[in-house]
Amino acid sequence: MATYLIRRLLWLIPILFVVALITFIMMHAAPGGPWDRDLNARQVDATTQNTLNEYYGLDKPLWRQFTAYVFGDVNKENKFVCGLVCGNLGPSYRVRGRTVQDILFEPPKEKSFLYSRFGYSMRLGGLALSMAILIGIPAGMIAALKQNTWIDYVSLFITSIGISIPSFVMAIFLIIIFASMLHLVNVVPKDWDDGKAWILPAAVLGFGTMAFTARLTRASMLEVLRQDYVRTARAKGLHERVVIFRHMLRNALIPVVTILGPALAALVTGSFIIETMFGFPGMGRAYVTAIGQRDYSMILGTTLLFVFLVSLANLTVDMLYVVIDPRIRINE
Amino acid sequence: MRKLFALLSLLVIASMALAACGGGAAPATEAPVVPAEPQATEAPAEPTAEPYHGTLRINMGSFPDIVDPQKSSFVGEIAVLKLVYEGLTRLDKDLNTIPAAAESWEYNDDATVLTFTLREGLTYSDGSLLNAARFEYSFHRNSDPATAGEYASIADDILGAAEFRSCAENCDAVRDAFYENTKASHADGAACTGYDDEACNTFTVKLKQAGPYFHTVASLWVGYPAKQELIEAGGENWWLDAANHIGNGPFVMTTLEQGTQVAFVPNETYWAGVATYDIDYAYIVDGAVAFEAYKNDEFDIVGLGAEDLGTVQNDPTLSAEANIYPGSCTFAMMFHQQKAPFTDVKVREAFAMAIDRDAWVSDVLKGLGSSTLTWIPKGFPGYQDGETRLAFDAAAAVQSLTDGGYTVVDGQLIGADGKAIEIVDTFSDTPRNRTRNEWLVAKWKEVLGIDVKLNPVESTTYTALTKDINTAPQMFILGWCADYPDPQNWLSVYWKTGAFGERIGYSNPELDALMTQADAELDSAKRADLYAQAQDMLVAGSPVAFMWNNVNSYLVKPWVKGATQTPMDSGWIGDNDPLSITLEAH
Repeated sequence: MATYLIRRLLWLIPILFVVALITFIMMHAAPGGPWDRDLNARQVDATTQNTLNEYYGLDKPLWRQFTAYVFGDVNKENKFVCGLVCGNLGPSYRVRGRTVQDILFEPPKEKSFLYSRFGYSMRLGGLALSMAILIGIPAGMIAALKQNTWIDYVSLFITSIGISIPSFVMAIFLIIIFASMLHLVNVVPKDWDDGKAWILPAAVLGFGTMAFTARLTRASMLEVLRQDYVRTARAKGLHERVVIFRHMLRNALIPVVTILGPALAALVTGSFIIETMFGFPGMGRAYVTAIGQRDYSMILGTTLLFVFLVSLANLTVDMLYVVIDPRIRINE
Repeated sequence: MRKLFALLSLLVIASMALAACGGGAAPATEAPVVPAEPQATEAPAEPTAEPYHGTLRINMGSFPDIVDPQKSSFVGEIAVLKLVYEGLTRLDKDLNTIPAAAESWEYNDDATVLTFTLREGLTYSDGSLLNAARFEYSFHRNSDPATAGEYASIADDILGAAEFRSCAENCDAVRDAFYENTKASHADGAACTGYDDEACNTFTVKLKQAGPYFHTVASLWVGYPAKQELIEAGGENWWLDAANHIGNGPFVMTTLEQGTQVAFVPNETYWAGVATYDIDYAYIVDGAVAFEAYKNDEFDIVGLGAEDLGTVQNDPTLSAEANIYPGSCTFAMMFHQQKAPFTDVKVREAFAMAIDRDAWVSDVLKGLGSSTLTWIPKGFPGYQDGETRLAFDAAAAVQSLTDGGYTVVDGQLIGADGKAIEIVDTFSDTPRNRTRNEWLVAKWKEVLGIDVKLNPVESTTYTALTKDINTAPQMFILGWCADYPDPQNWLSVYWKTGAFGERIGYSNPELDALMTQADAELDSAKRADLYAQAQDMLVAGSPVAFMWNNVNSYLVKPWVKGATQTPMDSGWIGDNDPLSITLEAH
């Protein structure tokens, strides 16, 4: 188990390296650069652009920029600055003076890590995922057990909505109902220390995953329902609750757990839509706007973080299989 | 079974823990850093009729990337700086340049030396002295290559500024030369001794050529006097801490929360008076959400976008709260002067005359804009009323093609040499731009019979392409928004050979000469006349199809009184003169 874990973790290194390389090539292939500004106003002039390029090493050949990003390079003052291998994600070109790790992980003064952009996204993502699990799995289970009854149809209806309605529509819809009409919350949350402010963003963010989880649970429960071992269990005269939880749910959960891993990674790395609509101070907007702004190190940093989290989530899922499904064993 | 229970309980515990992190109150160990409460809640010391003191809540859209006078360049960044700091001069609501930190200014006889005299008794919001040495530092920092400010080039009219700014190494000589041209002194010319020198009230700028408009440039944020000691102590990130923004403007920053909020209270020491309200900038990017929040009385001022205009116009309350007034930009269909067929003025004229600008404004812009046939917009010095050249005229447009020896066969433009010329309209790919360009292409098809191809590209790609004469497309829409209200900024800064107009290959030596003459003219009437001639010459050559001017559009709650409408409002209605605003109890 330990060797397996270590091997899997070591595999992360080549994965991150290749992802960094591909992302690097793709973003530099797109025309434009970090100093390209709103066209209708004064552009950054050539002199300043040269100065900035030189300062950030963007005047160097691409291969050298890449090695500088990954391993490090000497800067203008002839001092060696270590790169990604030391956990340095590089300077943001857009928010000058701040590094990517500052922007993502540094909380405001006198606050805990939970108040950094990543901290906010992590909390919201976690909340959304717990909602998806705590509602999605039971809902799917009940729908399967009561197949073709009104319960099943209602659950099917709601989950279809969740899967098909885009989150920006859902967001404005919920805002209009709960804020504008019922006045239960503010349209624009004032204070993120107030728990009420988190309900709508988490609901919008988690709804899609919740619906998908419910449908998947229902489908795999239905499949398990007709298995021989379930009939055997019933024939043995086991209590229905034991049949459902021990013999059915446990087997039905395998595909669900598979999707929950990547879903967790996607949820905690933030959502552009949620942050745009609720003014949520997470990292999703930083990720998406960085692409349009050609904020190279920000694009790389957020992409690598995402890949890192997906890999970790997948690893966790693989470990969980062993716990859920006795047929799966790790070959050392 | 035990494993399953373990798993389930793990999930439950994990989710509860996460939920606890997310919701609920802040952990008790963390002191919430909240902005000063609006003073309205405090009981007034004396029971006299205190005026209502509320908070003006404004949605600003995107959060600033950087709030540093010598590095910022975006509207939302300037809207923050403008409250906290003040330049030597400022603009009034009619875009005249009026005294601000400087009480007066004077040019020498050939307008190459500009001398500002500061107000007596100027202080920062913390009560410390603000003397001319502070402005000297700001101008030095702006042109310093180490600052590499994105707007620094705006001060290149100062003698030696461009040289200093572009200096890579061994810069001492060019730096000292530049410092000689931007100097603080006593009124009698004696050298200042530092930031505590009370007699240091004169700031002199030497220009590289006559520049009778430079006192207007001095109103811009690049000259705002942020404190050297705070900048140096805070390092490159000094601006992140609200406490470092000790300024001389009408407001004091109390909170700067990354991504969510910037808050201000009135500056009690501001020379022109003390505002009677606080300001809260919020950052909601989505227009639909901001509109809902406005309707729910959570904002007092929000931008009004085209998508909400219909709703607003059909609602008697909201339509009374809409403020729509001219902005500071002109947009044009740019034609590449060196790419066929737009090398030919006849083709340019045909395409220009085929655009019905009034229909464009009403159908496409939904009224949020005004049509134009000239360059300098209405409300700006240098605007010329009554321009009619190249107005929409379908027959004349077709005639212009015929005159040039062109024919149109099967939607293709055929040149005099019998060859077909493909025409492509390139635009930044957003749904809005798609609608706009589809409309134009349909118009050209209808009037000229030509099939123009649409070429959507990603927005930064578009910027990169259109910046350079070699990659600039055949035709594309582009605008110019004023840096400062002077015809020099519209004409010389844009259309001189080698300036911004170069991207479409525009160069007119005759116009260059005229603009250079105008720039240096000291007699303001003569100067205005020369610029009028220049603009006339520009329009006559029809390098582009002038199309429309933008508008500023805001929804303003009825309890916000006295907001002035200025074309150069940067971020919200009335931010050019916040002291004229009062809030009524509501």
